[in-house]
Amino acid sequence: MKLGNYEVKLEKRLELTAWEAATISILAIFVALALVSFIFLQAGVNPLTGYKEIFTYAFANPFGLPLTINRSIFLLLCTCAFIIPIRAGLWNIGMAGQLYVGALAAFAVAFAFGAKESHSLDLSPGIVIPLMMVAAALGGAAIGAIAGFLKGRFNTNEIVVTMMLNFITFWLVPFMIKEGGLFMGASGEGEGFKLSSSIYAPLIMGVPFTIFIALGLAVLLYFLFAKTKIGYQIKAYGLSPAAAKYAGISSFKIPLLVFIMGGAIAGLAGYHYFAAVPGVYKITKNYGDFGDLAFYGIICGLISQGNPLAAIPFALLFGGLTNGGRFVQGKLKLGFGIDYALLGVLMIILVAFQFFYRYKIVWMKTEKEK
Amino acid sequence: MPMEGIKRGDTALEARGITKRYPGVVANDHIDFEIKAGEVHAILGENGAGKTTLMNILFGLVQPDEGEIYVYSEKVNFRSPLDAIDLGIGMVHQNRKLIPAHSVIENIILGHPRAGNILNLKRTGEEITELCDKYGYKIDLKAKVWQLSEGEKQVVEILKALYRGAKILILDEPTSALAPPETKKLLASIKAMTRDELAIIPFITHKLPIVLTVSERVTVLRRGKITARLATAGATEESLAKEMVGREVIFRLERVEVEKGKPILQVENLSALNDKRFLALKGVSFSVHEGEIFGIAGVSGNGQQVLAEVLAGLRKAEGGKVLLDGINITHSSSLERWQMGVGYIPSERVEVGSIGDFSLVENVAMNYYFDDDFAKHGIMDHKKLRKLTQEFISEYDVAAPSPNTTAKSLSGGNLQKLILARVISRKPRLLIANLPTQGLDVGATEFVQNKLIQAKKEKAGILLISEDLDEILSLSDWVAPIYEGELMGIFPGGEAKRENIGAMMAGLKQKVEVI
Repeated sequence: MKLGNYEVKLEKRLELTAWEAATISILAIFVALALVSFIFLQAGVNPLTGYKEIFTYAFANPFGLPLTINRSIFLLLCTCAFIIPIRAGLWNIGMAGQLYVGALAAFAVAFAFGAKESHSLDLSPGIVIPLMMVAAALGGAAIGAIAGFLKGRFNTNEIVVTMMLNFITFWLVPFMIKEGGLFMGASGEGEGFKLSSSIYAPLIMGVPFTIFIALGLAVLLYFLFAKTKIGYQIKAYGLSPAAAKYAGISSFKIPLLVFIMGGAIAGLAGYHYFAAVPGVYKITKNYGDFGDLAFYGIICGLISQGNPLAAIPFALLFGGLTNGGRFVQGKLKLGFGIDYALLGVLMIILVAFQFFYRYKIVWMKTEKEK
Repeated sequence: MPMEGIKRGDTALEARGITKRYPGVVANDHIDFEIKAGEVHAILGENGAGKTTLMNILFGLVQPDEGEIYVYSEKVNFRSPLDAIDLGIGMVHQNRKLIPAHSVIENIILGHPRAGNILNLKRTGEEITELCDKYGYKIDLKAKVWQLSEGEKQVVEILKALYRGAKILILDEPTSALAPPETKKLLASIKAMTRDELAIIPFITHKLPIVLTVSERVTVLRRGKITARLATAGATEESLAKEMVGREVIFRLERVEVEKGKPILQVENLSALNDKRFLALKGVSFSVHEGEIFGIAGVSGNGQQVLAEVLAGLRKAEGGKVLLDGINITHSSSLERWQMGVGYIPSERVEVGSIGDFSLVENVAMNYYFDDDFAKHGIMDHKKLRKLTQEFISEYDVAAPSPNTTAKSLSGGNLQKLILARVISRKPRLLIANLPTQGLDVGATEFVQNKLIQAKKEKAGILLISEDLDEILSLSDWVAPIYEGELMGIFPGGEAKRENIGAMMAGLKQKVEVI
């Protein structure tokens, strides 16, 4: 393409530094925000005011910030649950199902200790909380293992299996918490029982301790893929199953392992939201919304190119925007769904801008034709 | 299109000062090249000499940094292959660009401007048949491409280019995948095409004698530069190889006599299925001793691939036994076999032997990650692996800028050297080398063969599987032709007669009972 005296050319990138990747992502975010401005303008709102409201509420408001952080922890866990299998070339679409089962398993522990009977029961948090978390991880891992086993043993498509398990587990939740269900709450209005206050997850400056688990897992996974033998085997399998097999890497164990690990982390996301976020402490009526939110983990994982450390800022951004978007919709009396529109556009642009991970635009001064 | 009125001897294509730089290398350094209508002008070079870049530039896939291209004396500027095709340049790819599920005729008209929305297959069929008759091709236009042999697929690609009106034909490694009779046919058709004033440019890395028989002029590339431009009449195989490699090349290897040791591999009545679940290996028995090369000669698809995979633990045996140093390993996993001293050099070096997106260090790790010295307590020792890779690069003369380069950026020969270095460095008791020199240039072939001989001297037992009869005969202590999953006999290397083995590979001679 020619522009005046310059020729604009696309050139393949030979390598991409972390710095370049970050610049491209930030550019994409600005482009997305610019595009969504039109929605604000159309509603008669100054986009700058709109964004100011969104970001202040999400990141600088005493009510908004904790909500953002809680969502971001949840998203980061779901992203990690997606990243492990994707490094093995496998798609975990089942974080929703894994987190439902994780949450049910955690509440099963509380139930076993009699938490359903009395809200004020004095239980030992040092025993029950770790048990709840282990149960959540095991529950998620068990569901994940189904997909991993079928993939490894029979080469069954893992996308279909995880997706179908989402449906099964989605209905397993109301079976447990609605009328007559074992985990039914006292009011019987389609909610699970409330945890005894003695086993509320500890808060650190108002933030559930699960934030350290999420951040710790992200760091640990980064280390796993960068340094360990297991991580190497997963990556080799992900890039070329045939070459991995040649090198003696089991094409049964790797799919099973990554889905167990991914499922366990998704299970922890279930624990986090339903047992650790202040004001929740029960499996809520709208549990399905969190299953939907889990899907943002896929986008987050793809945008961060399977790098768990890069996923941290994206999880924070998405957590903040879903939260601030919903708030601004009420405050500025905007149409329904502005938060979804904002996220949708943002994701499309981020994915579209990945083009620049592979190509760069080169400007060249053209010589006059002889 | 400048198609009409072409006279014999007109300059069909001319490239002047073509230069293309990639980070770290000059792939093409001021290349001048010219071909006349009705001429065959071959371009020779080792892997990595810049042939592919030049070919892609002439076909419009890559734009040069400097230089000019003239087609029939008109300056052209290719933005994409479409421009090149419109000017009458056709390309016959080595990795065929055909749709396997479609018929021959559908593949030929795919992308043809006249194809439009409604296909007139009848008229097209007649026109293609006419082309076939003219140049002596025989092909069933209704056959699906997946049913065709490599040679027939090549014919489809040539016809596709001709039907599109090509007057200048680029052939990428035209003879590399062909059986001898197919090669003969190809050469005849090239002769026929030049009679119609087509200009033909074959790009070649190996099988040099074929170049000599068909082309009038040869241009030799080495490291991006032209090292020789000569008339074929005065050239010999040795002189061309010398120009390509930059030093004398020995074509005949001497068999080294090594004192025979204990049996390493014993295979008893082994049978196995292929991917389509047919019995592809039908009860073979043989043994390989220390310091011995056991050569299996066969045309590909006769069970030798299945045999290699079963021995490497990548495929299940249906029946029979495999013993390594007397231990039954028939049901051992491939990892266990690596640890017991089986080393496998696969024929598919890109798909199986390496991981393109991995760095060279990570590729070396493929045979070392299970070694406690390189992965203590589950943590990979990247420093040690890097050092090892560095050693391989210098010792095996792998052309790579650094150990961190990705494997996919290496040429075939360099990749094979790295795989070889990695496998041999484990000092395997049994080395299975499956088509170790296939597709390699003269220099790399010589190198690989010497390394096999060296491993033999170090008392490894070597199972060499090859389609190249010369290679098998000159290297092996024992030669076993394989045909339809059976060994046709086992002959001492020195006594094996070429004609005899060749006939057995082709299934023209009866099986001989092993003494």
